[in-house]
Amino acid sequence: MGERIRISFLGLGFVGIMSTLYLGLMWAPSVAIDAFESPAAQKIFYWHVPSAWAAFIAFAVLFVGSALWFFKRSPTGWRLHVAGAEAGLATGLMTVWSGTIWGSAEWGTPWDWSDVRLNTFGLLTLLALFLVLGRRSQPDGVETRDTFSTFGLFGFVLVPFTYIATRFWVIRHPGPVVAAGRDGSLQSDMALVLLIGAISFTVFIIGHILTSMHITKLEQRVEMLQSEIDRSV
Amino acid sequence: MEGMSYLTVAYLGMISGIAIWTWTVFARAKTLEARISAIETSLGKEEIEADSIALQSANSDNNEATG
Repeated sequence: MGERIRISFLGLGFVGIMSTLYLGLMWAPSVAIDAFESPAAQKIFYWHVPSAWAAFIAFAVLFVGSALWFFKRSPTGWRLHVAGAEAGLATGLMTVWSGTIWGSAEWGTPWDWSDVRLNTFGLLTLLALFLVLGRRSQPDGVETRDTFSTFGLFGFVLVPFTYIATRFWVIRHPGPVVAAGRDGSLQSDMALVLLIGAISFTVFIIGHILTSMHITKLEQRVEMLQSEIDRSV
Repeated sequence: MEGMSYLTVAYLGMISGIAIWTWTVFARAKTLEARISAIETSLGKEEIEADSIALQSANSDNNEATG
């Protein structure tokens, strides 16, 4: 995949994210003043929801990559695993960070240890952190890759669990606003900004995944060259 | 108004965060490309694309199958 394509994805995604935030702040309607403790903080939803969506894409890539490496020994699968873990960590942190800002303003506390969705999503982000740090601290090898791929495969169980958490255990985290059936109450202008945000974050994260795969490929080339130098000395 | 100011600061912080992340990733790619190009030039090599760990794994699978 050419550098120009990667830069186009990243650039388009970044511009789209900035536009989403601008529209969310200046154009999208505010919620009713009595609907929330902190109505202004609700606008962080234009960052929080699309970044959570991008995180789910990244974790799906991590799962596919882990499966391809574990069952097929595919080099592309390993690159997907690495890219999915890195993108999952970044978007997971974006989601958790924006969520804690909203929680502080709305609930008076940044985190609720009794809420299922918060905790399963937090675990997913920690899994991505473990995979990223683990890969950097361990020598690359078949056993290392197999171990991390297994975590990538089993960790994905948390994704559907996190997705359905607010449908079955509504504790503190607000319920779904998209595809929520009769309970959904999203105003059309808000939905439009949210859609632009979801598309922008998707494009941006694809750009990052492609770039990360390219970097892993370069690292593998460095390793091959290094071992060639070692053999010739 | 105070809430909107906080929100703007949070937005700017998050945008800066993803900009720094993107910049770091690009800088790493550029550093690696420069390093590879320097090593390949000094060794007089063409581009090497393979993944040594995947090759090692495939070789050991082949050995098990034939052995």
